[in-house]
Amino acid sequence: MTTQLRHTRVGTSAVPRRRIRAKHRKNLIGWLFLLPAVALIATFTIVPFFQAILLSFQSWDGISPDIPFVGFENYDRVLQDEIFWASMRNVLAFGLIGFVVGNSVALVMALAVTRVKRGQAFFRTAFYLPGVFSVVVVGTMFLWIFQPRVGILNTLLGAVGLENLQQNWLGDPSTALLSVAATFVWYHWGFAFILFLAGLQDIPRELYEAASLDGARSWAKFRYVTWPQLAPVTSIVSVLTLLAALQIFGTVQVLTYGGPGYNTMVPTLHIYIEAFTNNRYGTAAAMSVLFGGALVVLALVQLAVAGRRLRR
Amino acid sequence: MRTQPTAVHVRPRHRRAPAVAGFMLVAALLLNGCGSSSGDNSAGQDDSDGQVELLFFNQSRGQEETLTALAADYEEQTGVSVTIESPGPGNYLQDLQSRAQADRMPDLYSATDPFEMAPYFNAGWAMELTSELDGEWEETFSPAAVDLWRFADGNNLGVPEGIYSVHWETALYAMLVAESTGISPDAPPETMSEFTARLSEEDAQFSVAASLTPRLLMSYASNFMTDEELEATLAGDAGWETDAWRDTFQLLIDLRDAGVIASDEIPGGTEDNPGVEQSFFNVRDVEAIFDGTFGIGVQRATAPEFTEYFSTGVPAADNGTHEPRAVARRGRGAVVNPKGEHPEEALAFARWLTEPEQQQVFSDEVGMIPTSAELLDSGSISPELEGFAALAEDAQVLPGAFMAADVEDAIARASQSLVLGEISVEEALAQVQAAQDQSS
Repeated sequence: MTTQLRHTRVGTSAVPRRRIRAKHRKNLIGWLFLLPAVALIATFTIVPFFQAILLSFQSWDGISPDIPFVGFENYDRVLQDEIFWASMRNVLAFGLIGFVVGNSVALVMALAVTRVKRGQAFFRTAFYLPGVFSVVVVGTMFLWIFQPRVGILNTLLGAVGLENLQQNWLGDPSTALLSVAATFVWYHWGFAFILFLAGLQDIPRELYEAASLDGARSWAKFRYVTWPQLAPVTSIVSVLTLLAALQIFGTVQVLTYGGPGYNTMVPTLHIYIEAFTNNRYGTAAAMSVLFGGALVVLALVQLAVAGRRLRR
Repeated sequence: MRTQPTAVHVRPRHRRAPAVAGFMLVAALLLNGCGSSSGDNSAGQDDSDGQVELLFFNQSRGQEETLTALAADYEEQTGVSVTIESPGPGNYLQDLQSRAQADRMPDLYSATDPFEMAPYFNAGWAMELTSELDGEWEETFSPAAVDLWRFADGNNLGVPEGIYSVHWETALYAMLVAESTGISPDAPPETMSEFTARLSEEDAQFSVAASLTPRLLMSYASNFMTDEELEATLAGDAGWETDAWRDTFQLLIDLRDAGVIASDEIPGGTEDNPGVEQSFFNVRDVEAIFDGTFGIGVQRATAPEFTEYFSTGVPAADNGTHEPRAVARRGRGAVVNPKGEHPEEALAFARWLTEPEQQQVFSDEVGMIPTSAELLDSGSISPELEGFAALAEDAQVLPGAFMAADVEDAIARASQSLVLGEISVEEALAQVQAAQDQSS
């Protein structure tokens, strides 16, 4: 029966089989094209990811050929590490400021630039420019801006008679985190700005014309046309900027190195110090797993919320 | 409709072969790049005509030029070629670690702090030099300098007893004071309260980088503890929450309350000490700083015209029970890799670098306190370094315990918080104790 059936199928479906073969060939070519990327991702992302998980159960000083298993000792150490949890609290503050302030500024500036009749290219370039600099350049620049005695900010405040607002911006715990966050927002908002700008330019003009005919004013147009139409862009920008803010490293490293005290310490810097200064790679890996896991969960939740908003 | 797919199938078929070949080539190149043989970059090679080539992995930017020039001289004299590779101080340890992991260690490399070097020494990447230093070679050095290189039996880093590096510099830490304070190098303040009062009278400011507060406090702690007691604390055998350490950390509160700490803060960040040095040597809005001997090199490079300052030891505590002793560290030097291609030639080069003639070049060009007994006795040290040099003979020697990186970091951060009034001395000591417990 089986043979008969097969014969029948072969006999009657020569053309579909050719199509299937052609489809397989196409797939094969597709996979060949993907192969280098897959190989690179496997080598430099997937394998290290699993290696990090493995390392989190081991003890290693970075040099020794002996890497003994220590079970959950590293996780136990991290759970009792007050600095790690303080750094998690700090990074939440950075995340909130980066997410809310950074995206708000980016959106407002994008809205403003779309309304500008002339010089759009100039503003696009000017606003995106900070993101082009190296973090070390930005850090050094802001070190000079925030310097308490001869810094540009305090000098300017003094020049306009606002001496009472002069601060030790990076040395005072009450202003250090905000100063670093401000630097981070300045450095990164150009990215969200460009995406918002592209999203705004994709909104059909007809929608605004129709809204005008219906008597909608500026706020109503934003509320009922711009904001819903920007939803896909907002979703992706939100995820990317929040993750970028939570992974803040270079700005903190250059400006404060987590200080004064531990007031601006963030998990990425703490992990770096644990690995490269304290030579405890196992503990650093355990921190990375916990912090990385938290980021993945947060990103998934955010994407789920954004997806629900899009479906509505 | 059917012709379209056929056309689509036929036309790319001609292009498929080159495309696939192209990807194969890219993949092959990538794989080749990833798996390049270690022999390509391995240190200590014989070139085709049998000449020995050594690689020296150098951490210090300040000595790079001088070291390169000396290496060229050495090649002329011996025919042994030495390449100096300087990844920069910020990248040095990471690069060295990558080399260790890839089994591509250089023939010689700079020795940094014991805590950083211990994993290399424990993994067999350093030649044990005690037997080499017995006799003639050892006699060329100041005994106080050689004492600093030793790892005692049972030290807290688990390094087997011995000497694993040789140095042409002893790094010392002391006060740099501008003459504008009115303080004279001939009669510096004897006690910390006198020093603070003199600064306060002149409305002068003092600064210390957060990263150097462990050295400042270790210097000051010697007023209250013997070297053995200091060693016991660093080894974790004695606690930090003692009266001696309370008195030590109180220094920062006293300086703050006297209003002499610049901007009422201890600057932190990766560039904290360069910032402090810049304030002292270049901007000159700070009149006294705590710094290492390496600061003199910075002054020579960035503010050669500014010479109205002097170095002096940290003044004694008013309530001290011991003579204060400065913190001394192994300065610039070399570790010989015993697993390299030419360990004997590498050792010979290290030995040559520590000879008085070469140390004189380092001293003249870089500005450092040499380890050569002959040079130290000859009195040929530059005036800016005299204050430092005077401290060398009686400096702390702690071969049985070394401050862990966690503890250094905790002291630096606790010092910042203390000066800001965020925490008390008791809380600062608790933080340091927690770091000590974490490190052991």
